Amino acid sequence: MLGDSTLVFIAIGAIFAFSFYAVLVAGQLSLGQAGFAAIAAFGSVTLGPSPDQVGDLPALGIAIVIGMLLGAAASVVLGLPTMRLRGVFLAIATLAFAEAVRILIVNSESLGGAGGLAVPKVVTPAIAWVALAVVAYWFWRQGPSRYGRALAAIREDELAARAMGIDVGRHRLQAFITSGAVAGLYGVLWAYFVRLIAPEDFDFAAAIDGLVTAVVGGSTLFIGPVLGSGFLTMVPEVQRAVGIEAGWLRPVLSGVLLLVVILFLPGGLASFIPRRLRMPASTESETHGTLTTRTHPRPGDQVVRLHGVTKEYAGVHALRGVDLEISGGEIIGLIGPNGAGKTTLVNLISGLVPSSSGEVEVLGTRPGRTPVHRVAAAGVSRTFQHSKLFGRLSALENVLVGAHLVSRPTFGRRLLWLPSARRDERQALAHAARCLQRVGLGEKARVPAAALSYGDQRRLEIARALAADPSLLILDEPAAGMNQPEADSLSDLIGSLADDGLTILLIEHNVGMVMRTCSRILVLDFGELIATGSPAEIVDNPAVIEAYLGSAPDEERSR
Amino acid sequence: MVDIQQLFNGLSLGSLYALFAIGFALVFGILDRLNLAHPAVFAVAAYVGIDLVTSLSISVWLMLPVVFVVGALLGLVIERVAFRPLKNRPDAHFAGLISSIALAGVFIALLQGTYGPDTHRFPAEALPETTFTVAGAQISLVQVAILVISVLLVVALGFLVARTRLGRGMRAIAENPTAARVLGVNVDRVTATTFAISSALGAVAGALFALNVNTAQLGMGSAIELKGLAVIIVGGMSSLPGALVGGLLLGVAEVFTVQYIGSSWRDLVAFALLFLILVVRPQGLFGKRKVREV
Repeated sequence: MLGDSTLVFIAIGAIFAFSFYAVLVAGQLSLGQAGFAAIAAFGSVTLGPSPDQVGDLPALGIAIVIGMLLGAAASVVLGLPTMRLRGVFLAIATLAFAEAVRILIVNSESLGGAGGLAVPKVVTPAIAWVALAVVAYWFWRQGPSRYGRALAAIREDELAARAMGIDVGRHRLQAFITSGAVAGLYGVLWAYFVRLIAPEDFDFAAAIDGLVTAVVGGSTLFIGPVLGSGFLTMVPEVQRAVGIEAGWLRPVLSGVLLLVVILFLPGGLASFIPRRLRMPASTESETHGTLTTRTHPRPGDQVVRLHGVTKEYAGVHALRGVDLEISGGEIIGLIGPNGAGKTTLVNLISGLVPSSSGEVEVLGTRPGRTPVHRVAAAGVSRTFQHSKLFGRLSALENVLVGAHLVSRPTFGRRLLWLPSARRDERQALAHAARCLQRVGLGEKARVPAAALSYGDQRRLEIARALAADPSLLILDEPAAGMNQPEADSLSDLIGSLADDGLTILLIEHNVGMVMRTCSRILVLDFGELIATGSPAEIVDNPAVIEAYLGSAPDEERSR
Repeated sequence: MVDIQQLFNGLSLGSLYALFAIGFALVFGILDRLNLAHPAVFAVAAYVGIDLVTSLSISVWLMLPVVFVVGALLGLVIERVAFRPLKNRPDAHFAGLISSIALAGVFIALLQGTYGPDTHRFPAEALPETTFTVAGAQISLVQVAILVISVLLVVALGFLVARTRLGRGMRAIAENPTAARVLGVNVDRVTATTFAISSALGAVAGALFALNVNTAQLGMGSAIELKGLAVIIVGGMSSLPGALVGGLLLGVAEVFTVQYIGSSWRDLVAFALLFLILVVRPQGLFGKRKVREV
């Protein structure tokens, strides 16, 4: 049942599936891998030396180098114009690329046209499995590295990942290039195994096979593609062994089986394997140094400056001529009725939306013009009004992503098993655990973020934002859904953060809490800053009372 | 100089692409999911259509409404089996693609089990042979019928979506399924109906395609699948007028490519067009740019 060719097909099928896995972990659906593989296969056979001249293994080695370079180069060429596409748009664009490559090869005389090229058979099961082992090793080491976590964060919530300081464009392109190189490896191995390569080997159906293998195996654990390839290669073999006739019955059974896997095993076959969540040893929290390296602006230093800032959405003024300065160490409360423009103001300061006019300057950056991840790198960290956690990651992993900016890249060193990578990972874990403890979630480190209660999710957002060691922490309605004791302890936490030197901008509807916590309060109404001052001044300000409680003319205005 | 003959051939072929693609667009517009079992319905309908005409000796025109119903039933199966169980999954995008591919594989295998692997054709006497001569061009009745039926169905669908209660439900779900449910839209039923209509149109496209080339093959769905995807990207994913214009554009462009460049380049047209649109105007000719929400 397990003949040589079955063994080779399992291995190279898994390698092809890894080229899909490489982008699926970052939430990208690409079908261009068949095109990369085709370019690599035809390119390496044409450009590389023949096995007759240099011997089998050297020829294959050179072909693999050429193929992987060609695959990576092709992925850059395709990736640069398409990286801004999402979801099925990316899938269809990359599919179009693969099909275009195939048609070009069909029409190319020198590549054999539709008939294909004859290639000597060099690949043995041993070679194929060694190649697979190398690729699987790569992705095994990638998973729990800083790079791997950043990709997972992008998959779960791209916007939140950006706000945590992750350069989403660069990470997505890197994942895409990895995918191209792995697809190139597959193309070369395929070419040097099947004796005759034809453009049809790399058509739409082939791309779909690769995707199906990756998803069936599971696209969140590195062993997934291997399981998927083993499963899908063995199903027809087993059917033949038990005497099911070829023809239509086998594909029906395969289809039903595939349907069952995808419907009832959301994580693919890899979900049978228990996931090991790394936890920091309790002693390590104390022994390792903290990841707080930033020098915060001193009291009086300018942190935020807004001058004449206006934001329009299709003619509606969300903000009108806002002037605002925040300096180091302040705890600023931002209040105002629903729709006053509070969240818009926060989005402007964190760089998620550009202003329509006026100047925004935050910690030396120009949000709106500076990319979001650079604003974050300058020390701006925030929570979101509607929780934007990385749902399928554990609470601890969410916070680890938050520590992206203050931890060091570990993937390269993890590949080489350098002890310093292990040390850095432990330090990041200890840092994350401390942030979780600080918001009172130490016990829930292993729970997936999506499974936490609403109040815990609010707290986890704060822990994640804290992990970046921000100079300016923006909290967008953190106490929503909390009861009074919880809000009180949140208030204490904010106070202790300010003691650490952080500048805090707190948006909150719980006015009592704002009064108790903040040193200065801003009041927004209909996009305009109508009052600013100490809590005592705000309570007595007639304009504020009017905005909140309404007076006769105000009621008329709202009609 | 425009070649009337080729232009008409292109429009007729393009209207078929449009009719097929509109099924993709309809489901994508409402659920944000690609239904890759759609091409299988296209192939099944072609075989069933030929079988109906051959074994019941009914006219090809009578066969079309029957195929429409068969397609609608398949659409209900697709929704129930491949999409509804995934409704609340975070990875529903990928999972829906795979589950619909799996179901398509089952459909095609069953088709092979029923009709065998060979190409099927209509009985010789069943095909209308009428042709007209317009401005020097030979135009067959079948081509005219394809163009008229396809455009009528697309227009009727546009009316359904824009003017009826069902269409309002569809648009509400497209906007926000949860809000639609709160407002009393029966989301499950409207979704199922959407799939039924989508597949019914795909089925008619399959039968008309078989009529056009007088063949039905197991792989005919995969051949048109990529073109359908190209058409909806060019037209603007969920835009129904976009699918119509995109389909006609692709059909005409293909026919002229074959005439002036060569038949082996024909399939490149769709992908070149699609790639260009994605890079230059990703929302498509008729699509609206989505505003990012925070």
